[in-house]
Amino acid sequence: MAKEIEQSLTGEAMAPAASDAWYPTRQRDVYIIRQLVTRDFKLKYRRSTLGVAWSVLNPLLMMAVMAAVFSQFMAQRDPTIGNYPLYLILGNTAFTLMNDATSQGMRSIIDASSLLKKVKINRYVFPVQKVLFAVLNYVFSLVAVAIVMLFFHVLPTAHALLLPVPVALLAVFCIGLALLLSTASVFFRDVIHLWSVVITAWTYATPLFYSTNILPAWMVRLELFNPMYHYVTFIRDVMLWHQLPALSTVLGCIVCAAISLAIGIVVFRKNERKFILYI
Amino acid sequence: MTDRLENSGKWGGYLEVSAEEITLGEPLTMSAVVFGAPIEGFTYNYGWSRNGSWEPGEWETTFARTGARTRQTSYTFTPPKAGKYMLYLDFVDENGLQLTIQRPVTVIDAEIMRADTEELPDVPGDDVIISVRDVSMIFNMASEQFNSLKEYAIALARGELRFKEFRALNHINFDIRRGESFGLVGTNGSGKSTMLKIIAGVLDASEGSCTVRGTIAPLIELGAGFDMELTAAENIYLNGSLLGYRKEFIDEHFDDIVAFAELEEFMDMPLKNYSSGMVARIAFAVATITEPDILIVDETLSVGDFLFQRKCEQRIQELVDSKNVTVLLVSHSIELVERICQRVCWIEKGQQRMIGPVDKVCAAYKSLSE
Repeated sequence: MAKEIEQSLTGEAMAPAASDAWYPTRQRDVYIIRQLVTRDFKLKYRRSTLGVAWSVLNPLLMMAVMAAVFSQFMAQRDPTIGNYPLYLILGNTAFTLMNDATSQGMRSIIDASSLLKKVKINRYVFPVQKVLFAVLNYVFSLVAVAIVMLFFHVLPTAHALLLPVPVALLAVFCIGLALLLSTASVFFRDVIHLWSVVITAWTYATPLFYSTNILPAWMVRLELFNPMYHYVTFIRDVMLWHQLPALSTVLGCIVCAAISLAIGIVVFRKNERKFILYI
Repeated sequence: MTDRLENSGKWGGYLEVSAEEITLGEPLTMSAVVFGAPIEGFTYNYGWSRNGSWEPGEWETTFARTGARTRQTSYTFTPPKAGKYMLYLDFVDENGLQLTIQRPVTVIDAEIMRADTEELPDVPGDDVIISVRDVSMIFNMASEQFNSLKEYAIALARGELRFKEFRALNHINFDIRRGESFGLVGTNGSGKSTMLKIIAGVLDASEGSCTVRGTIAPLIELGAGFDMELTAAENIYLNGSLLGYRKEFIDEHFDDIVAFAELEEFMDMPLKNYSSGMVARIAFAVATITEPDILIVDETLSVGDFLFQRKCEQRIQELVDSKNVTVLLVSHSIELVERICQRVCWIEKGQQRMIGPVDKVCAAYKSLSE
């Protein structure tokens, strides 16, 4: 009975009132971002037999190779490092998150050019969506982390519950960078090539497969200015070393995220109206 | 005797006109310019033809009138009717070698134009949904195109960063009322797409203001709001979200969209297996499933097959008849504009030429643009 009434109501609304059809701006952006992330997800995993399993296999394979090569060496140089394979995979996955988020976020505006020329959409949704997609992939890669922990009998403690904090801060940091890079790449396409070089250098400059203990003192001081060092350390603190991160680490994460986001927003806002002339 | 090739290497010429566009009743002067040889050594034949016609009264040459070529280096005549004129000039040197130059000139009937400019109130009335006031669009074209940081830095350091101003739109004014079907016409590159982008809100006018009240639904073309790898069903949701539709709304009207697009059997097929016409159907179905305040229809519509185009036109007509939807049609297909629109604005080279009822504007447009 109730269903019938409902049907007759919707039946009457065959010519829907305009207000029912559209979201208000904020909700609209959220729904667009959701749709775009869904699209990317489907595109990434459709027509691959292993599908999401790749997000797990990929970091595991990377870790296996690097562990085979560097285990002996690092165990001798720094006995405090803890479980080395876990050390590796935590660093690698976090760095991959940043790499994916910024590289794809950077191209997002250029890739959406034909859409931006036609429909009035808040432009920030494109870089932000790419970062969120990278975070989603990171979440899948945590399965790989869990496998490594199981394999080496490293059981998580309550500290692991803090993991969302560094990941969220890292995501904010990446959003700022993605906004900045997507703006820059609209005006100068060679930023795209430049960034891949920066990423490679950054990979080696970040203690992913080595620890800071083997670095000379001046390098250690320099690492304080490496945002990725703070994020990776925070994540390892709570997942590997089962301890609360040092205050300097937490502050480092927050400050880097805040600065990046502030610069990203200012630069993006200031230039977004000119995008259409260059895409 | 020298041959033609050698000779034409020695001299050349071109045709100068007093204006590329004049109003009816004004005189037009054609002048010969010769280089590589003294101008006195030539004889000339001046001619014109209106709208490509060779009927009596539609063309004239000095040779046909006087029976001989003239030594005058310029010739003035008053075009008898409005239209597109092609001017001809034959240069003949003392050896009888000939060079012919032609050049188009437009003659506008100012009376028609004047009759159809509209007086606009400073404050648009309540029923005005799109109000364009004194809109100009100026592009700064870099005299060189910089795509790399290095080139840009070098130019910046040398102080060689120069910009050319290009006016894509020049003081455009019009009001579009709720429920009206309004057309923008003009030849390619006339600025109508720029105007459309300003109305759609993706481009900001350099000068003037464009106020739009209400929701806009554009037809999103292939490659923009669609992804070739996704299925049609997934694309409907993606496209709908980009237009700002609620998820529940798309759920509710999903079947209507599919039915309108006539693609029931193909919903789970990736879009790359579709023809461009099929994609255009989905785009149209998604954009018109509700009653947007403003529906923007552009060349995208022309992709579909004949039957579907007719169906689209019917749907547009329904929306127009509902009196709630304003249809903005941009096309250089004048037939489509004539069938759908009530009022038309004609933009040419960034200038607003004419605005008024569809039959008058389209008649004037056709007389000048063929």
